[in-house]
Amino acid sequence: MKSVTRELAFLVRDRGVLLSLATAAIAASVAILLGMMEVAQQRATIAELLEADRAERQVVQAGQTDWGGAAYYTFHLTVDEPTDFAFAALGQREVSPWKHRIRMLALEGQIYESDAGNPEFALTGRFDYAFVVSLLAPLLLILLVHDVRSSERTAGRQEWLSATSGNDHSPWRMRSGLKVALLTGCLLVPLWIGGLASSSGVTVLALASLWTALHLLFWWGVCSLIDRRGWTSSVNLVAASGAWLVLAVIAPAAIQAIVDASIHLPDGGDIVLTQREAVNDAWDLPKEATMNPFVARHPEWEDHVEVTRPFEWKWYYAFQQVGDQKAEEISRAFRDGRQRRESLAAKLSWLSPPALLERALQRAAQTDGRSALEYEDRVRRYHAQLRAWYYPKLFPDLPFDQDLLADIPEFSDEGPPDHHWQGGDQLIEEDSTTR
Amino acid sequence: MNKVLTIAGGELALWRRTRVAVLAVSAFAIVLVVSCLLTAQRMSHAAEERTRQQTTAEETFRSQPERHPHRMVHYGHYAFRSPPPLAIVDPGVDATTGQSIFLEGHRQNTAMFSDARASADLGGLGSLTPARVYQFLLPLLLIALGHAVMVREREARTLGSLLAQGVTGRELYAGKSAALLGVSAVMLVPVLLLSAYGMLRGESLAASLGLFGLYAAYAVVWCSAVVLVSTLAKARSVALGVLTSAWLASTLVIPPLAVATTDVAVPSVGKTQSDLRMQAELRELGDGHNASDPAFAKLRDNLLAQYDVEDVADLPINFRGVVAQNSEASLTELMNRYAEERMALELRQCRRAAVFGWLSPTMAVSNASRAVAGTDLETHHRFLRETEALRFDFVQGLNKVHAEQLAYSDDINRSRDADAERRTRVSTENWEVLASFRFEPDPTDVRWGRASADALPLLAWLGVFTGLGVTSSGRVRP
Repeated sequence: MKSVTRELAFLVRDRGVLLSLATAAIAASVAILLGMMEVAQQRATIAELLEADRAERQVVQAGQTDWGGAAYYTFHLTVDEPTDFAFAALGQREVSPWKHRIRMLALEGQIYESDAGNPEFALTGRFDYAFVVSLLAPLLLILLVHDVRSSERTAGRQEWLSATSGNDHSPWRMRSGLKVALLTGCLLVPLWIGGLASSSGVTVLALASLWTALHLLFWWGVCSLIDRRGWTSSVNLVAASGAWLVLAVIAPAAIQAIVDASIHLPDGGDIVLTQREAVNDAWDLPKEATMNPFVARHPEWEDHVEVTRPFEWKWYYAFQQVGDQKAEEISRAFRDGRQRRESLAAKLSWLSPPALLERALQRAAQTDGRSALEYEDRVRRYHAQLRAWYYPKLFPDLPFDQDLLADIPEFSDEGPPDHHWQGGDQLIEEDSTTR
Repeated sequence: MNKVLTIAGGELALWRRTRVAVLAVSAFAIVLVVSCLLTAQRMSHAAEERTRQQTTAEETFRSQPERHPHRMVHYGHYAFRSPPPLAIVDPGVDATTGQSIFLEGHRQNTAMFSDARASADLGGLGSLTPARVYQFLLPLLLIALGHAVMVREREARTLGSLLAQGVTGRELYAGKSAALLGVSAVMLVPVLLLSAYGMLRGESLAASLGLFGLYAAYAVVWCSAVVLVSTLAKARSVALGVLTSAWLASTLVIPPLAVATTDVAVPSVGKTQSDLRMQAELRELGDGHNASDPAFAKLRDNLLAQYDVEDVADLPINFRGVVAQNSEASLTELMNRYAEERMALELRQCRRAAVFGWLSPTMAVSNASRAVAGTDLETHHRFLRETEALRFDFVQGLNKVHAEQLAYSDDINRSRDADAERRTRVSTENWEVLASFRFEPDPTDVRWGRASADALPLLAWLGVFTGLGVTSSGRVRP
C-alpha cells in the first residue's frame, strides 16, 4: 500500500502524465456533453414531429369521404427514439434515418427514402464517447506507458530499481498499472455522470465500463510486450503507434472492404424499379391479373374482389400490395444481405479491438446497423398493421365512418419487433396462413 | 546548393539504413497503392453502372404504352448521380448520400440507397480512400521519418562540427527539408497517376493538376512543420511528442469536434420536419387531383371569363389539365422554397465547420479536395436542383398534354366509363417530353472558386511554418 502512494506521488508530479490524463478527462467529458446535447435535439425533433403529425392527420382525416381516400391522403409518422444510452455512441443515426412518414401505398417505394443529416458531417464522423475510447484512449495510453521501463533504462536506474524491489516486474507493473487505472477513471467518471444524468440503466453502464476497461487492458498488454523488448523510448512509441494504426485504422477499413466485397447486395434501385413497374403495369392489365395474386396472399377477401368499374380503391390497394409482393424476393435479398454483412462484420471485428469496442457500445446504445434494420422492420410491421386495419373496411365495402379513423393503429417504438430478423413481410405471410 | 544536396543525400541514405524508416515507408506505400487500386476500380465501375442505369431509365420511360398523361406523371422517372472522374481520388459524399432519386409529380423525394447505410460500420476512420490515406497517414509517415532530422544532430553533438565546417544553419535546414520533400514527392506519385487517369476519363487539366497540387501543398505543410519542430526542439522525444499531438489534433480531434459542435449550434432540419411544416401552407394551394377544390375557384372564374363560356365543360381546353399545371407550378414553388432553405442550412453548417480548417490543415485539405474533385455537398445540392428541374419539366410537359389533348368530358368520366377511359390515353410520342439527363461535374473554375476558401488556411500554414523554419534555422546554435 505504501508503494502505491509513493508511485502516486511520483505520478502527480509528472507533468506529461497529468497532461495525458487531463486530455482524456476533457475529451470524454466534451464527447459526452455533445452526445447528450445531440440526443436532446433528436428528442426535441421527435416531439415536434409527433405534434405536427397529429395536427396534420386530424386536418387531413376530417376532409375524407371514403376509406380509399383516407388511406391515400393520410401519412403516418414512424420514429426511432434514441435510447437513454445513445449519448455515448451516436452510431448509424448519422446515415440511417430515424424518422420516416409512410402511407398505405406500396411500401417498397417508400421505405428506402432516407431523411438523414448533413452528408459531409456523416463523412467526418462524430466526437462521441465511443470514438474517444476506441480511437483516442489507446493513443493516450500508449503515451503514458510506452516508456515506463525504457525511460528508467535511459536514466540508468533500471538495474537499481529491479534490484531493490522484491520482484523483477513489480515496480514497472505497479507504475504502469496505476497509470492505466487513472486513465480508465478519467474516461469512466464522465461516462457515469452522463449516464446518471440521462438515466441510463446500471447494467448498460456497467457493461460499457467493463468493455472500456478491457479495451485499455488490451492496449496495456501491447505496450508491455513492446516495452519488454529493451528498445529505446522512441522506438517503443513508434512501434506502439504502429500497432494502433494497424488495429484501429487499417484493420477496420480492411474488414469493411472485405465484408462489402464478399457479401454482394442486389442493387437497391432494382427493388424500387420492380415495384414501380408492377404497380404501373397493373393499370393497363385486366383486373384479375391484380386480384388473383392478391387473393393468393389474402384468401380471406376472396369473395370481395370483384371490380366492375375502371377505377376502384380496393383494386388500387390490391395492386399496391401486389407491387410489394413482386419486389419481395429482391427486397428480402437486399435486407438479408445487409444482415449478413452485419453478422460477418461482428465476427471479423474480433480482429480489431477498437472496432469491437465501437460496435459493442453502438449495440448497447441501439444505434448500430442492426438497430437501423430493426427500425426498418418495425416500419414494415406497422405498414402491415395499417393494411390489416384498412382491408376489412375497403374490401367488404363498409360504409365510411369518420369516427373510426381515430382507431387507426399508432406506430409503436417499443423494443425490437417480435420477428426479430424477419420483419413485416413475415407478418403478412402469417396473416394468410392463419386465416 | 551542392551542400544542400549532400545533406539531403546523407539524410536519405540514413533512412535507407534504418529499419523502422524502411518499414514505415513500405507500409505506407502498400496501404496507399491498395487503396488507390480499390477506389479507382470501385468508382469507375460506379460511374459506368449509373450511366447505364440512367440510359435504361430513359428508354423505359419513353417506351411506355399509350396512357392517360397523368398516369405517366405518377409513373415517374429515375435520375442517377454519376461520380465525377476525380472521385477515384476522393469519393467525398458519394457514400453518405443516396445515388439515385425517384422523380414524380407533386413530390420531391430524397436520394435513396447510400453505401454508408448498406455497409457494416466498424468505426475507425471509415473506409480508406486515397484522399483519406493522404490526409491522415502521410503526415504520420513524415513525422516518423523526419521528427529527428535536426534535433538528432543536436543530440549527437554533430551540429557544432557541421557548423564549424562552414555549413550554415539555413543550408542544413534546406537539405533536411529537401530529403523529406523528396520522400513526399515519391509518395505523391499515386495521386498524380490517378489524376492523369481522371483526365483520360474526361477531367480537365486544371482540376486534375489542382487536386494533385492540393495534396502536394498539404504534404509540404507537414514537411515544413516537422522540420521546424525538429529545429526548435531540444530533445528528440519532445519533437516526437509535439508533432504527434499536432497530428492527433489536426486529424482525430478537431474535425469530429467541429462537426459535433456545429450540429449542436446549428441544428439540422430534416426533410420529414420541413415537409410537415410545409403541409399547412400546402393545404392552401389545394389538391391538384381535385379540380373542384375551392382553391381553384379563381382559376376557373378567370378561364370562364377569358373564353367567355358558362361552364368548364365548354372550355376548349381540359380544365383538369389546367388545374394540374397550375397546382404543380405553385406546389413546386413552395417545395423548392423549403428545399432551398434546407440546402442553405446544410451549407451554413458546412461553412461554420470549415472555420476549423484554420486550426486543422487536415480539415482544410479535405474540404478543398472534395470541392475540386466535385464530390462535395454543393455538387450534391446541384444534383438535387438539376433533378428537380428535370422532374418539373417532364411533369409540366405531361400536364400540358393533359390540358390540350384530352376532352374534359372523357376525363371526368374515365373512372366509370371504359370507352371514355380508352379515349383519355394519349399516343406514345408524348413520352418524348422527358429530357435526357447526364450529371456532369461543375466547370473547373467554379470548383476552384469553392475550393479556394478552404485551401487558404493551407497556404497560411505553409507560409508560417516555412517562415519560422527559415528564420530559426538561421539562428541555429549547437
